[in-house]
Amino acid sequence: MTTAAATTHGTHAHHDDRGFVKKYIFSTDHKVIGIQFLFLSLFFLLVGGVLAMQIRWQLAFPGQPMPLGNLLPASMAVNGVILPEYYIQLVTMHGTFMVFFAIMLLLVGVYANFLIPLKLGAHDMAFPRINMASFWSAFVAGILMSATMFVQDGAPRAGWTMYVPLSARHDYSGASTGQELWSLSIIFFGLSSVLGSLNYITTVINNRAPGMTWFRMPLSIWSLFITAILGLLAVPVLAGAAIMLLFEQILGTHFFDTTAGGQALLWQHLFWFFGHPEVYILILPAMGMVSDIVANGSRKPIFGYHSMVFAIVGIGFLGWIVWGHHMFVSGMNPTLGSSFMVTTLLIAVPSAIKVFNWMGTMWRGNIRFHVPMLHAIGFVSMFTIGGLSGIFMAATPVDMYIHDTYFIVAHIHYVLFGGSLFAIFAGIVFWYPKMFGRMLNETAGKIHFWLTFIFYNATFFPMHIIGMAGHMRRIYDPTIYAFLRPYQPINVFISISAFLLFGTQLIFFVNFWWSMFAGKKAPLNPWEDNGLEWTLPSPAPHGNWETPPTVYRGPYEFSSPDVSEDFLPQSRKLPSDREPALTPAH
Amino acid sequence: MATETHKHPPYLLIWVYLAVLTAAELGLAFQLPISRNIKLILLMVLAVWKALLVALYFMHLKFERWNLRVMALIPVPLALIFIAAGMSEHIW
Amino acid sequence: MSATTAAAMRPPFPAEPGLDVYNKKLGMWVFLASEVMFFAALIGSYIVLRFGAPGDWARPGVVLNIKITAFNTFLLICSSVSMVKAYAAVADGDPAKMRWWLLVTIIGGACFVGIQVFEYTHLIERGFLPSGVRDGSELADMVAKGVLPAATMGLYGSTFFTMTGFHGFHVTCGVVSMLYLFLTKALPGKYTVQDYAGIEVVGLYWHFVDLVWIILFTIVYLV
Repeated sequence: MTTAAATTHGTHAHHDDRGFVKKYIFSTDHKVIGIQFLFLSLFFLLVGGVLAMQIRWQLAFPGQPMPLGNLLPASMAVNGVILPEYYIQLVTMHGTFMVFFAIMLLLVGVYANFLIPLKLGAHDMAFPRINMASFWSAFVAGILMSATMFVQDGAPRAGWTMYVPLSARHDYSGASTGQELWSLSIIFFGLSSVLGSLNYITTVINNRAPGMTWFRMPLSIWSLFITAILGLLAVPVLAGAAIMLLFEQILGTHFFDTTAGGQALLWQHLFWFFGHPEVYILILPAMGMVSDIVANGSRKPIFGYHSMVFAIVGIGFLGWIVWGHHMFVSGMNPTLGSSFMVTTLLIAVPSAIKVFNWMGTMWRGNIRFHVPMLHAIGFVSMFTIGGLSGIFMAATPVDMYIHDTYFIVAHIHYVLFGGSLFAIFAGIVFWYPKMFGRMLNETAGKIHFWLTFIFYNATFFPMHIIGMAGHMRRIYDPTIYAFLRPYQPINVFISISAFLLFGTQLIFFVNFWWSMFAGKKAPLNPWEDNGLEWTLPSPAPHGNWETPPTVYRGPYEFSSPDVSEDFLPQSRKLPSDREPALTPAH
Repeated sequence: MATETHKHPPYLLIWVYLAVLTAAELGLAFQLPISRNIKLILLMVLAVWKALLVALYFMHLKFERWNLRVMALIPVPLALIFIAAGMSEHIW
Repeated sequence: MSATTAAAMRPPFPAEPGLDVYNKKLGMWVFLASEVMFFAALIGSYIVLRFGAPGDWARPGVVLNIKITAFNTFLLICSSVSMVKAYAAVADGDPAKMRWWLLVTIIGGACFVGIQVFEYTHLIERGFLPSGVRDGSELADMVAKGVLPAATMGLYGSTFFTMTGFHGFHVTCGVVSMLYLFLTKALPGKYTVQDYAGIEVVGLYWHFVDLVWIILFTIVYLV
């Protein structure tokens, strides 16, 4: 039994005589590239968090000197008091860093790279050198974007959505080089994204191990595949828009200049045509990873695997025709607006199907509350809240009132933090052993989860309330409005919760780095999971397998009656299994 | 997957078609005294026809599997949706 | 394509049957899909801007030189034909003929870029810029006389230079890539009937660039 199991798991690759630079810096190994993305994106997650702390200080205590504020130059803060010009840069760059350089890189750059070849039984990606180019392009983009905060006249100020004419005209925003660097950074980021997408798509289509049919792929891979298609087709539109914005700034073009026949709304259409598929890029991989982890934690097959796949495809498809819901108050064609309302309400359906299926998976499961499962359950519940607030916004008449208020900010953070970030934490803890060969500390993980969960809800739930009351986004000092002053104590409460939330992440930070060198050594399959990656040593070796494993079943055979254990790996051959039929030399 | 060498399509004939269609476009644009809107539609038809010839014969899409054809075509409706939405801003 | 060729261009790794297209070719098609979206953003914006323009657009042929561009269009189409002849040659087992046709393609592409650069310098001299019409130039005179519409020249310049400029950039990348492959792979005889993936893949890119120009020529120069 064991020898048969060993051969069908595939022999793993051993020999690795590359030098240090080729092994860790200019590596073409998808796992190393995934880890490089992990370090880069965690850095930017920290940067985004630091910017958020400053925003929250200003909102809770407007006009008061910020601790360490005297370290900031006079262009940003005077006597430690944040200036309005700096505040709006904080808001813009917090969004930019978090959306592009933290969440996108964490979900796609890390997990698409790390998981796709491992979970499909492939050596590596279809194009390893293009993969390396994708990382270094993102790295250059990161440097350019960071530079915007240090150049003359500072960072851009038009919000991460960069609406024209504020973004296009130096005399309106006050930013000059910083704005141009933003556009240039986005172009490099776009290149990185497209190169990555073409790798992921080709690998998933062509490089699956024998027996890994489409409907035996884990949901994490399905969602990364659809995400890659979204990125492939949406990001070039952003790149085109960024180029047009750059030309508007440096060549004096008139695309968006209404005084010369241009159209300001054109920017919004271009940006959101990209922007809506973008938000599905930010959530689909999270949903996929959560599916894998919830099934594992429940020791049950995922409820409704096929409908989960169709829901992912449905979200990917519908996501192209809802973008106008970001523009309901822009003055767009009202008939167009109404059609966007209908499609936006429709897209709630596949997301809801997924939520019910996760609940169905957990129902009567033999639940193991390990740290990844805690974060995954956190995801399901918080994403549901975020999704429900989305229904409010989908209805145009309601959105007229809540657009550009903190209700929207609450929604964004419920889906991006409560959703994507909890899933990212789940994924980091779950796959950490396979990446680094060590386990993260379980107790620290549980404390981190619970404190994060509590402080996160304390920070973002009240934003629904002040948003409904009319508290607008991106405002420097809410106390200038009499109608907002009664809500200022809520702002203070939110900010203090946010500071505690940020501080809690120190636990994760310390756990992450300490465990890498001194954590418990990880066994082959610490979570008793079925995926192909768990048949390899921890950490996985260069080249993964020498000969590919053979796959006999789907990825969610937990509590199968065919075996005594409560899990049944995809590549374990049972006497009743037949070899997959492969057409020779096709 | 075809196991025999496929016969090449008549590339030079396609080239002649393309040259003729280009000449037709030039003639249509500058010589024919017909209304602007009809001219626009006819020119678009000719341009798309030429583009299809290149895609189907030079890029061999006609001889590839249907899934590849679908994959190559997916961006087109997306682009049209964007253009239609943008244009609709000017007709209300 | 013969069975032996297809097998050689596949990864030497037993895999589930995916799309019956080897990785490099599938990768190029996927990349081209993203390029369609990129040009869709630029060309789509042009269409939307022109459709909603606050006045008439300049009539075709007044600012831009149709004769030279028509020749350039024909040149690019010819280079597409020579590219596909190169592909057919190596697929039929004649790498020598392939090298010749590839060289013709490279020269054709380079000439296209050269002629575009010439066209650009001429236009800029006459006063046509991405920002519109330069004060005191020949075109400014035409605007003053009413031969060209003042309200839309800014949009005209912006869209013209961005679309054709990025197309020209893509052609240049194609020429450089083909030259690189010609010198490092085609000349030393590394393309054979068993493995000519590079020719097929760069050919796809080149035809795509031609296809985009076919659309651009019509909607920018002739309409």
